[in-house]
Amino acid sequence: MDFQGIYDHLKAKDTPGLLTADHPRLPDPENKKDKGRFGSPFVEVDPQHICEFMVACRDDDRLGFDLLADLSAADPAEESEEFWVLYQLLSINHRHRLMVKSRISKEGANINTLSGIFRAAQWHERECAEMFGIQFNGHPDPRNMLLPDDWEGYPLRKDYEFPEEYHGISCV
Amino acid sequence: MPILQNAFEENLLTTKVDWLLNWAKLNSVWPMTFGLACCAIEMMAVGAAHHDIDRFGAGAFRATPRQADLMIVAGTVNFKMAERIKRLYDQMPHPKYVIAMGACATGGGPYYKYGYTVVKGVDRVVPVDVYIAGCPPRPEALLEGLMALQRKIRATAVVRKPAITA
Repeated sequence: MDFQGIYDHLKAKDTPGLLTADHPRLPDPENKKDKGRFGSPFVEVDPQHICEFMVACRDDDRLGFDLLADLSAADPAEESEEFWVLYQLLSINHRHRLMVKSRISKEGANINTLSGIFRAAQWHERECAEMFGIQFNGHPDPRNMLLPDDWEGYPLRKDYEFPEEYHGISCV
Repeated sequence: MPILQNAFEENLLTTKVDWLLNWAKLNSVWPMTFGLACCAIEMMAVGAAHHDIDRFGAGAFRATPRQADLMIVAGTVNFKMAERIKRLYDQMPHPKYVIAMGACATGGGPYYKYGYTVVKGVDRVVPVDVYIAGCPPRPEALLEGLMALQRKIRATAVVRKPAITA
């Protein structure tokens, strides 16, 4: 199925949490400030219902998303008040993929873990947690993935300030 | 019959202690197996047949710091690794030498500005004897670095501690 087919199917099934679809588009020639959008089409999902949505995507026969290919997060801008959590779903049998986006508030950023649905989510969520400070509720092993255990700050946030020194080693 | 048998009978060889010890030291600089990033690929190339670091007596890569004389820091050093490097260096017996191979180990390289976890040069953790430029350095450059280290060893004297500056 192509993206539109997947979206229509999700809509027809009344999938929990599904909000809108977003397509890449060319810039508006009338409006010079409009730069359009590059990239892939994605569906936006309510973060409250992300788990139900993923279960529906995985267990539906026609969608059959059996692989969580990637899970990442993004900090769109320093003045923005939300993080994006991005999921890439892939169906090996049906050979189609879907990008899912969830907007969560920067203030006390948290979202439910997917590690009970796709085990691949565990490590990705650990990395997102240490890089952005997003809490994944119910994660079975919320240690740091790459950074040292006593690292302070969240490096991939736009307002991250570089440390002066770490364990007596100068960072500048 | 071996060619040296009976060749030195009723003869003496005289030499200087410094020369003899340095000759032995600089021709058996055993490096530690220690690659951190892409520079390690070039280090492996140096160890292989085409470039053959064994011609300089430094081909016996040891899998433990306790048997090694030389630590080739081949790659990007981050803070998590820096403590391990320090510990490995402390476990090496004297005399010990460090080569900082490539831009990352020398001064942070491409991660100098935005690499929040990258140590801006391994000389902030352990004393470095020879720096090699390049990203990554050619195998010939690593051989040149080894020869520079051998020149440095040749200049040391046995009664003095080798001068190592940070």
